[in-house]
Amino acid sequence: MNILFLISLIVAAVSGIFSLVRQLQMLQQNSYFPSRYSKFVTDTFVVWLCVLAFLFCISSFFYSLDNPFLHIILTAAVLIVRIPLCIKTQKKSIKKLVFTGRIKRLFGAAIIIEALLITLYALLPGLAGEICLVLSLTLSFITPLLCYLVWAVTLPIEKAFGAYYINDAKKILASNKGLKVIGVTGSYGKTTTKFILKRILSEKYNTVCTPGSFNTPMGVVRTVREHLKPHTQIFICEMGAKNVGDIKEICDIASPDMAVITSVGPQHLETFLTVDNVFKTKFELADAVKQKGGRVFVNGDSKEIASRIDNSFSVYGTGENALYRAENISYGAFGSSFDINLGGEIISVKTKLLGMHSIIDIVAAAAVAHSLGVSPEDIKYAVSTLAATEHRLELKSYINGSTLIDDAYNSNPEGCIEAVNVLGSFDGFKKVIITPGLVELGAKEYEYNKNLGFNAAEKCDIIILVGKNRSVPIKDGILEHGFQEEKLFTVSSFAEANALYSTLADKNTVLLIENDLPDNYLN
Amino acid sequence: MKTNVAFFFGCRSVEHEVSIISAVQAMRAVDREKYDVTPVYVTKDGEMYTGDALFTIEEYRDLPALYKKCRKVFFARNGENVVMKYESKGVFSKAKDVTIDVAFPVVHGTNCEDGTIQGYFEYLGLPYVGCDILSSAVGMDKAVFKDVVKRAGVPVLDCIEIRSREYAQNKEELTQKIVNQIGLPLIVKPVNLGSSVGITKVSDIESFDEAMSLAVSFSDKVLIERAIENLREINCSVLGDADNCEASVCEEPFMNDEILSYEDKYMGGSKSGASKGMASLGRKIPADIPEELSNEIKELSCKIFKAIGANGVVRIDFMLDTAENRVYANEINTIPGSLAFYLWEASGVKYTELLDRMIELAFRRQRGRENLTFTIKTNILSGVSFGSKGAKGAKL
Repeated sequence: MNILFLISLIVAAVSGIFSLVRQLQMLQQNSYFPSRYSKFVTDTFVVWLCVLAFLFCISSFFYSLDNPFLHIILTAAVLIVRIPLCIKTQKKSIKKLVFTGRIKRLFGAAIIIEALLITLYALLPGLAGEICLVLSLTLSFITPLLCYLVWAVTLPIEKAFGAYYINDAKKILASNKGLKVIGVTGSYGKTTTKFILKRILSEKYNTVCTPGSFNTPMGVVRTVREHLKPHTQIFICEMGAKNVGDIKEICDIASPDMAVITSVGPQHLETFLTVDNVFKTKFELADAVKQKGGRVFVNGDSKEIASRIDNSFSVYGTGENALYRAENISYGAFGSSFDINLGGEIISVKTKLLGMHSIIDIVAAAAVAHSLGVSPEDIKYAVSTLAATEHRLELKSYINGSTLIDDAYNSNPEGCIEAVNVLGSFDGFKKVIITPGLVELGAKEYEYNKNLGFNAAEKCDIIILVGKNRSVPIKDGILEHGFQEEKLFTVSSFAEANALYSTLADKNTVLLIENDLPDNYLN
Repeated sequence: MKTNVAFFFGCRSVEHEVSIISAVQAMRAVDREKYDVTPVYVTKDGEMYTGDALFTIEEYRDLPALYKKCRKVFFARNGENVVMKYESKGVFSKAKDVTIDVAFPVVHGTNCEDGTIQGYFEYLGLPYVGCDILSSAVGMDKAVFKDVVKRAGVPVLDCIEIRSREYAQNKEELTQKIVNQIGLPLIVKPVNLGSSVGITKVSDIESFDEAMSLAVSFSDKVLIERAIENLREINCSVLGDADNCEASVCEEPFMNDEILSYEDKYMGGSKSGASKGMASLGRKIPADIPEELSNEIKELSCKIFKAIGANGVVRIDFMLDTAENRVYANEINTIPGSLAFYLWEASGVKYTELLDRMIELAFRRQRGRENLTFTIKTNILSGVSFGSKGAKGAKL
């Protein structure tokens, strides 16, 4: 035993714990599920293998020189290089590690484990000490192993913490007499519906909703503990699911009195496997609410829902089957205007929000609010104040007094078709689209783009494509539809597209900007 | 878990004691099933105290003894909440912070009711009951109040506004001018006080100066208007907010003197009445006036309430010229004595319910504000490099 040897061991351990930042960051972003985190580990497996091979080579070289101390020192030096590397990666990452209580406990566990192993090595003679040495070095070298270990060691503590928080949240909910909990779930549209519902209910009630997309059990627990006030009258709880049983777990905590199910679709099929499972999971919310005798509002426009429900549900949507219905929909420079038919009572509303999905979300929120006694005047006013999310079918005024539908952040095929449909329904306007098309859609990319082109040709008066090569598939679709070629322009940048647009824009022109891509895509 | 309501009262105001009486009454009437009550007594020096002794009116007779039974507190923001912190007396007396959900100011007069305490709550981000800064301030300045409600089509008596220094420098000329313009008798009053403090009726030109010097001792700005000879005073309370409000029945306070004086208003003319506040004042509820007139006053009251953007409960005082049979809006009390509960009980709203509705209105206003954007969540500075290169590094 040698002091120098011990120091290099400690240095190795320190660098190992330091490198844990990256691992824990990944574990945290995978919601502390080691199974999901493992995907990151296997992705970076090759890197770890190279590091190991390299270390093995130099260590055998020095071992052959019969100089184990030098070997250890060198190892430590190699490990030390990881620290600045680690800091650099952290600085570059968009979503950094958040030092929550749990992360601090995980670091604490890592420090204790390493300290324990090194102390044992120093104290224990013979083989036992050697084992501790090997263990310590292995964990310092291969940080994912250390990460798995600390996760496992702290798991019982975390479970106890979790149970305490859950109980505390339940207590807070129970102590607020008269509080109504509304569960909102669905494959798509749940976050928007939640925010619209919150806005409308705020006309009459002190309303709290889960912020952002906090929709896991612990997210709900945190919202209850941090945001619920004694005077809160309604708690809107968004519920997300990736596995069968997820929604039930949240319902057991929040005990919802009312439910909104916005859609059932083929989402998260890697874990759900079938749409049937998605349906079952989403309707765990309906089961919980019905047990309490509450009402369940479902979107009748969602095929997967419509085909599976009986008449115990309150259906909303645009179809004949809906009790709460959007009717007489029209679009204009002001936004959308439509009537909400609440089982006979009609509220005419106007909103800046565009698109069928937004209208259906508004109908859902209006139906719930109406059933809770919010007056038609208040609903009408609240709907008129809703604001679109930035660059998502966002209505703005533009060059020469024309109207712009900014859908620059949309990049999914169905969304694009919906945006083109919205553009198409601006009656009496000259309709212009600027788009580079869609990217990164794999094998179906050509088909989607061609389809977009075909639809645009049907709905638009003037089409401006951005990127000479990349827009070929859209062009194919446009020409297939028989669009006049003199109304089709292809330019090489958005700046050029804008310049061209400004020459033909006037008060009666509406422009849709669909999916703006960074310049590196444009060629 | 109950909503914690902090009642603020006292304050650096000439109506300090009146405020204590109003607050003690209100704290006793609050629905304790629904609310927890935290009394916050603001001393004449502006220090804040809390403690159970503050619930009893008799305790206020000996203030030093009262302070000893209470603890000094201050307020601060803590994340999403506003908390009341105890001033620590040594290391071991560390009491837990108390989260306050809503503030209920029951304060009268300058340095508090005039928007000052409302500004304090706004600054803390604490929802509060009653008028906001602007409507409180408008309500406190009688001249500005007249301008605002006149614009809304409410009849008011024309007035002259004069500043203390202006008067001192040019007494004779101004006195003559005012008397000529307005005529005698006239009323002189400080622009910013409620509770009739400092108001004098002037019947001859000789007593004008005395009236002025009393008024300027309370306020830098003085208001002079025509005195109505055949005067009846009619008051009406309004409850609600700018979107939706309703008026109470009208009352007619009895006047010992020609103007309702401070003694009339709060001492009730008798020695034992001191602790009962406005409720004990000699008055006729509902006022003995024709229904038509009463409806007109109620309508004007709601108009005034909306014109200044009031919230919660206010009491509006009208002057009725019986000779001409005309009403004029005189002044508004944005936090009326005893919160005008006696007018609401006469209108079928129990005091407990009145307080409940006032608190609900505070939350309603808060919700309206939350729907607006005040701060941009992202920190613009986070993307700026200030750098060690000095000014060149900053790319704002």
